Amino acid sequence: MIAVLALLAGVVLGVWLDPTVPAALQPYLPIAVVAALDAVFGGVRARLDRIFDDKQFVVSFISNVLVAGLIVYLGDQLGVGGQLSTGVVVVLGVRIFGNVAAIRRHLFRA
Amino acid sequence: MSAPRLGKPGQDRVYAPDFLTELFRNPLDPGYADAAAARRGSADSGAARGWRAWPTRSVSLVVVVMLGFLFAVAYRQTMADEPGRSQARSGLVAQIKERESQTDRLSTRADQLREEVSRQRDAALSGSAAARLRNLEASTGLGRVRGDGVVVRLADAPDKADAVTGAGAGPPRVLYSDLQGVANALWSAGAEAIAINGQRLTSTSTIRSAGEAMLVDFRPVTGPYEVSAIGPDSMRRKFEDSRNAALMRKVAQGTGLSFGVRESDDLTLPAAPEPQLRYAKPSVSPSPSASGVRSGSPGSSGPATTVSPSGGGR
Repeated sequence: MIAVLALLAGVVLGVWLDPTVPAALQPYLPIAVVAALDAVFGGVRARLDRIFDDKQFVVSFISNVLVAGLIVYLGDQLGVGGQLSTGVVVVLGVRIFGNVAAIRRHLFRA
Repeated sequence: MSAPRLGKPGQDRVYAPDFLTELFRNPLDPGYADAAAARRGSADSGAARGWRAWPTRSVSLVVVVMLGFLFAVAYRQTMADEPGRSQARSGLVAQIKERESQTDRLSTRADQLREEVSRQRDAALSGSAAARLRNLEASTGLGRVRGDGVVVRLADAPDKADAVTGAGAGPPRVLYSDLQGVANALWSAGAEAIAINGQRLTSTSTIRSAGEAMLVDFRPVTGPYEVSAIGPDSMRRKFEDSRNAALMRKVAQGTGLSFGVRESDDLTLPAAPEPQLRYAKPSVSPSPSASGVRSGSPGSSGPATTVSPSGGGR
């Protein structure tokens, strides 16, 4: 509940402040969002599994976003940015799918 | 929720050699299970744990706020980008259109000016010199010419995949080499002027393809292609007898391209745009080579000023 309120607060803050993303960071924004989604669904699933851990959540969020951005940056420098970001999206997408399936099992017993 | 085959909780995890299988089987960060196991293992009382948990809990709340912030920013960014992208696209399209019409306008103006230049020149020059100049222009492709000749028509096959050879590769298309072959066969059949879809061929003309587009003198032409040539009456027969025409007939039979030759009276072939010679300088040697004489053959006798056609009258 508090988490949902915090999420909403973040959204409101983002809409209200309306920051401009530096041009250098813009290519990494979508991949950062996917990485963050992975962390979120992992956290929700852990909570439903009753093994949620704050430290783990914080660390996984930050490291996911940073590592995903770093991989894409590295790929851009090597000239394989598109392929590497596809790889990142596939891996994170698989994890999101798995976690959402587990969440679904928890919520609907199906 | 840890996979049953994982070792004792808290043990260092090694990634299985088949990372993907592991990924599909166990999408949750293994850290959660480890942390839970550690918590279970340590016999802390719940209350003390709760108190001690406050700093980390607030940190995770901050992270959740950051998450929402990130989502909002990303959403706004994407939404802001979208009109920009389509705007840029439509802007480019508009620019292309504008430049095209500008090019058309300029080239019609260039044509008018060229007409006027030749008129003025005719007025200024004596009759025989002007006539020789006109002949030179006509034979080099820089002047408009009229006469009887043939029109060779080439067209891509209709867009159906029943052709035997082009089953998998789209409809058979006319290749630039076909056009080159036809043009060469027409030259050798005695043509004195050739134009492809209204693009007059000169001594510097190229027929090539860039991707899907066919370029004649760096201007795109699209099918059906009409190669008009002005030449002697025997030209049609000679062309039809040429190896190239036979080849094209065979290709047309096999693939469904259309290939036709017809005689046409009173063709008018336009002038080619002036060649921009940047490196070749006209040489005004007193005794020009034999080719200079030959290029000015219709009606020209004095080879002293073969300069003008290539120099574009400048």
